[in-house]
Amino acid sequence: MTGGAAGKRGRLVFPALVAAFLGALALSAATGPVAIPFRKMADALLHGGDDTPARVLLSLRLPRALLGALVGGALASSGVAFQALLRNPLADPYILGVSGGAAVGALTVALFLSADASSGLPFFAFVGAALSALAVFLLARRKSGVSPERLILMGVVVGAFLNAVIMLMVTLSPPGKIPGALYWLMGDLGLGTPRRVAALFPYVALGVAVLLLLSRGLDLLLLGDQAAFQTGLSVERVKTATYLTASLLAGSVVAVSGLIGFVGLIVPHGARVMVGSGHRRLLPAAFLLGGAFLVLSDTVARAASPAGELPVGAVTALAGAPFFLYLLRRNGGRS
Amino acid sequence: MTAPLVSARRLSFRYGERDVLREVDLDLQSGRVTILLGPNGSGKSTLIRVLSGVLPSGGGEVLLAGRPPGAYGRREMARLLSVVGQDPPVDFPMTVAAYVGLGRFPHQGLFGGTSAADREEVERALAMTGLDPLRDRALSAISAGERQRATVARAVAQDARVMLLDEPTAFLDIRHRVAFYEIVTRLAGTRGVAALVASHDLTLCAEYGERIVLLSAGAVASQGRPEEVLTPENVRAAYGVAVACDRNPATGAVRVTPLRGAPSG
Repeated sequence: MTGGAAGKRGRLVFPALVAAFLGALALSAATGPVAIPFRKMADALLHGGDDTPARVLLSLRLPRALLGALVGGALASSGVAFQALLRNPLADPYILGVSGGAAVGALTVALFLSADASSGLPFFAFVGAALSALAVFLLARRKSGVSPERLILMGVVVGAFLNAVIMLMVTLSPPGKIPGALYWLMGDLGLGTPRRVAALFPYVALGVAVLLLLSRGLDLLLLGDQAAFQTGLSVERVKTATYLTASLLAGSVVAVSGLIGFVGLIVPHGARVMVGSGHRRLLPAAFLLGGAFLVLSDTVARAASPAGELPVGAVTALAGAPFFLYLLRRNGGRS
Repeated sequence: MTAPLVSARRLSFRYGERDVLREVDLDLQSGRVTILLGPNGSGKSTLIRVLSGVLPSGGGEVLLAGRPPGAYGRREMARLLSVVGQDPPVDFPMTVAAYVGLGRFPHQGLFGGTSAADREEVERALAMTGLDPLRDRALSAISAGERQRATVARAVAQDARVMLLDEPTAFLDIRHRVAFYEIVTRLAGTRGVAALVASHDLTLCAEYGERIVLLSAGAVASQGRPEEVLTPENVRAAYGVAVACDRNPATGAVRVTPLRGAPSG
């Protein structure tokens, strides 16, 4: 889709991304208080094992790394979808307040229904995400349309409000019933258990598959509604499907990892530089890059604070917030 | 004469309290270039939007190849009718070739795979519009005129039987204007395309239009062959400008020349 310019370099991008993705997983699994050499890792993966390194690897490190890969990939894919849907390069589930809505949805279930409804959490987080995305869009809409700046502004307002709701729910909940406020507001992969990874996987797989099916439609949305319609796109149907799928991806990962910001913002831009804006290449590239980025961020966070006080969301925000400012300036200068 | 590909009868559209289109009758025949003239605000763009289904008609009837627009699925409709809008996207984040390739969407399946026929049509459209040398350039890195040609190329790649073109020559220099009308005339001649071109260029219209529809305040003021429509009386009534209409000695087509300093209105 990107034309001949990709050429030789274009063919190498995907193998490089896959290598980066797998490399990040391996590095993450090797890093920690108990050092696990790569040869030991291969041995444990192939034959299992009952010694301490094998158990650390299989029940702690690997699930955590896989959770990071799924969450990072899903957030980046969701970011790509929201950016195409809103034709706004600054869109991202975190900035739009969608992740906040997801957290409130998940908390509501955890507090009022069953604390251990972990398989149902992603679904209710999805409902919360979809509702907050709709609220932000309706608040930002004017008769003349939706301006990018207004959309971001409303996202920030709704996001701040939802963060307050999260604080309130966490503070007033009975102790021990749900993870603490830091987990929800800055994100954490510490809950990565094999069971949680397995619970999240179908949501992410479904969401990514649907977005891939929509990829030509997402390309056409870039033309604007009218031209997309005249080129044969069922604009409203594709937009609704994209909005629901992007909310599903963002919501389901928030339920298992809290609010991790900026992955959905910076990763799509990085992926665009590598493979162009055609969504059939952009979506898989963003998934791989997002997974690698979040797994590495988590490895950095764990290395910097071995006791685990540094949430991964702090690392992604450290990298992401300056990048957001850069995009904002560049975008503002152009319009 | 064969049945028209597009047939509008008593087509109306209201925007709030304002009548934008009043009982417009229009036929577009296969293989014929029809020019849509009229001053700013006379309803040309609205007519194109209503014909393409972007705006619902506010009365009257449209038939596309004998059926109402509602009888077609979106892709089916886009294979029948393509539109070139006024504003080419400035910041579109793709190459010229990828942008033109989007025109193939209605011919592609659910998975959007690009077939050999798709690639062939894109090549043809690029060659026809002279964009081949720019194929790998970003759409944001070419001139406004080149972007406008890319928009036309996308519609050519769409390969529809009807083309509605809304002032597609506004940013083009004289060479590319002529080239544009040559392209449309060729598509009409070789593929039997029924083309409707909204324009402000009275002289080139008379050269290339087989039929002219003159809109004024949302109603058809006159329609017919160029020499029937382009008369000093019609032009003065629609545009409020005094003109002289004679024949171009080189081509025999009607030539419209504004009269300097003549009283208008």
